[in-house]
Amino acid sequence: MDIELSNDDLSFEAEVREFLAGNAYKDGEDPNKWRMDWFEKAREKGGWDVPKWPAKFGGPGWTPNQHYIWQKETARSSTPWDMPFGLSMLGPVLMAHGSEEQQDRFLPDIRARKVNWCQGYSEPGAGSDLASLKTKAVLSEDGSHYVVNGTKIWTTMAHIADWIFCLTRTSDAGIKQEGITFLLFPMKQEGIEVKPIITLGGSHSVNTVFFTDIKVPVANRVGAEGKGWTYAKGLLEHERTGIAGISNSIVALEGLKDKASSVKRGNGSLMDVSSFKAKVAALEIDLMAVEYTELRSLATASAGTAPGPESSILKLKGTDIQQRIQKLTMEAGGQFSAAWGGTNAGPDFARAGMGGYMGSRVYTIYGGASEVQKDIVTKKVLGIKSSKK
Amino acid sequence: MNFDLSEEQQLVSDSIERFVLNNYGLESRVAMVQQSPGFSLDHWKTMSELGWLGLPFSEDDGGFGGDQLDTMVLMEQFGKGLVLEPFLASIVLGGGVLKRVASESQRKAWLEVVIDGSKQLALAYAEPESGYEPHNVAVAGNKTNDGYTLTGTKCMVLHGKTADAFVVSFRTSGGVVDQSGISLALIPADRDGLTVQGFPTVDGLQSSELTFNQVSITADDLLGEIDNGFGALNEVINDGILAVAAEALGAMEILYKDTVAYTQAREQFDHPLSDFQVLQHRMVEMFMEYEQCKSLLFRATMEVAAGGDDAQRCVHALKHLIGKAAFFVGENAVQTHGGMGVTEELRVGHYFKRLLVIEAQFGNTDYHLDQFST
Repeated sequence: MDIELSNDDLSFEAEVREFLAGNAYKDGEDPNKWRMDWFEKAREKGGWDVPKWPAKFGGPGWTPNQHYIWQKETARSSTPWDMPFGLSMLGPVLMAHGSEEQQDRFLPDIRARKVNWCQGYSEPGAGSDLASLKTKAVLSEDGSHYVVNGTKIWTTMAHIADWIFCLTRTSDAGIKQEGITFLLFPMKQEGIEVKPIITLGGSHSVNTVFFTDIKVPVANRVGAEGKGWTYAKGLLEHERTGIAGISNSIVALEGLKDKASSVKRGNGSLMDVSSFKAKVAALEIDLMAVEYTELRSLATASAGTAPGPESSILKLKGTDIQQRIQKLTMEAGGQFSAAWGGTNAGPDFARAGMGGYMGSRVYTIYGGASEVQKDIVTKKVLGIKSSKK
Repeated sequence: MNFDLSEEQQLVSDSIERFVLNNYGLESRVAMVQQSPGFSLDHWKTMSELGWLGLPFSEDDGGFGGDQLDTMVLMEQFGKGLVLEPFLASIVLGGGVLKRVASESQRKAWLEVVIDGSKQLALAYAEPESGYEPHNVAVAGNKTNDGYTLTGTKCMVLHGKTADAFVVSFRTSGGVVDQSGISLALIPADRDGLTVQGFPTVDGLQSSELTFNQVSITADDLLGEIDNGFGALNEVINDGILAVAAEALGAMEILYKDTVAYTQAREQFDHPLSDFQVLQHRMVEMFMEYEQCKSLLFRATMEVAAGGDDAQRCVHALKHLIGKAAFFVGENAVQTHGGMGVTEELRVGHYFKRLLVIEAQFGNTDYHLDQFST
């Protein structure tokens, strides 16, 4: 054990900082052009545009420390927006289970950020219990294509996505985890209807998606028919570590302290009020611990062994921390946090503080609700088997 | 001791419950929120015709001689439907100050029209840097020959945009945080130099910010004695706390009951969600929080109505407990409803948003814990 970064790590850190500073967004620049240039330059650095991809597929092949440094530094810098669906979710599935032809067909456009993907998993009747999904895919008589009918819900960015990776049911025989097939198809086609869902923060990012007689060529099936659940499970693990958002929380906590320091209370600021200060401190302590939980988890992952038990708590702890930051930010805004519709009342940061807090409630629901996460830890980590029939 | 409602209170409670059931479905409420002025003028008229707006005023003032307990009965039912009309702003807060300290001529001019709903009042006391302290008043009255001029800002004035007149606190002597030296005035909304900027809040209600630019007030505008306004202001804020606590209780009842119903209807893993013990116990705790709030609401409201020595402590305790329970019940109602809980389509989120605003109003959970313990 050693808490210091090695000299190699330190020079890597310096290199990352130099890259991020040199390519930060400048006022007046065309944001889209900047975004595409940024990824191009990151690519030229040797796969920095796809940090998590294995070297075989063009990734940088970083050590866990290097990943940690990258996360920490990018959270503090201006980096272009990115979507995880193609890059971090579908990409790894194609690398592991897609045919070579599928890899050649889809991975380059994902890497170039040319095609936006969305994820067709949850259904109105299949939320936490994802495996009970019902969207049907029926193989045509000549075996050339599937016909898909059904409904997906909570589909993030379905309204701007070009393609969807979708779990469908091809068989009702056997246990429900069997008979699920992983299909890829374009979103912009007749028979697909996207209906927005407005969430309590007032924003539109999720949708309900209806499929009516969508034809999907067999060549767009990933892996074997009926094995989609196995592929999807691996993908959920990616989603779950991704949404712990620990580096971002470290930056957000600093922001929270700045905001609270700007709120006047008595002769000092809100940060001098002991009850508030204590809550911020308790949050910071949890965050210090979970930062190292993530590092331990990264270290096991890079040793090539199965993820250790510590990784199972990352989503639970990470999302709890994100929610507490939102809650304390709302609290710092006080009654001004109630303002809605872009109006200014009180300090700037307070605007829609309650909207932000409401929006954060979803963190413990999406990507597997916290209750389901705890069931997984109960079974997989603590080894407790239910005797209930 | 007796916790039963009187016959009249029960009748009022039943009639408000029916009104809420008939008029405050989620769709109807959303439609009212989206249309100016953000509530229904028809409902407001109905409330006046049914005598609800006169409940907490004396018979001499044209009311029904009710007290905080009657307001509690009404607000609890309002909370079950998240009623939008300005009862709290005009009747409990603005009217609450007038009924305590207004002169004969002020009463004549205003109380009748407030009780019949044709005019509305609002209370302007909070300021950008006052935190949660009602005695923290920086807006100063500068003495003139026949009165004062006011300059400064009042914030988060509930239903300010539709108010015909404002009860305003301002400083006539002492330091910014002194309880003495605060005076009150009733200022018509169209007075020169006063601008009202309205905006919606996250719960669908309407708030506003008031800017005073050399606003002149005369002796006729003053409410009660100069320098001695804090007592009445504080009593009215206590009434406001009792009222929103009762409203919050009604909202929490909906949240825990909706959650119990949803978990029995929604199946996952081949079971209704209500089969899972972790959810069962969570719902028991939601129910416990609700019942504890109800007990403290009764205690505080009776104590205030009776003018008991422990009234102020009880009010602090109540506002603390309500805030704590609001987070617990609201967060768990949303969590247990899963994805649907975070959409505008189900009502749970709407009830939780109202609870959030109540939590931060008249001093938040931490503020009242601190006040209670000092």
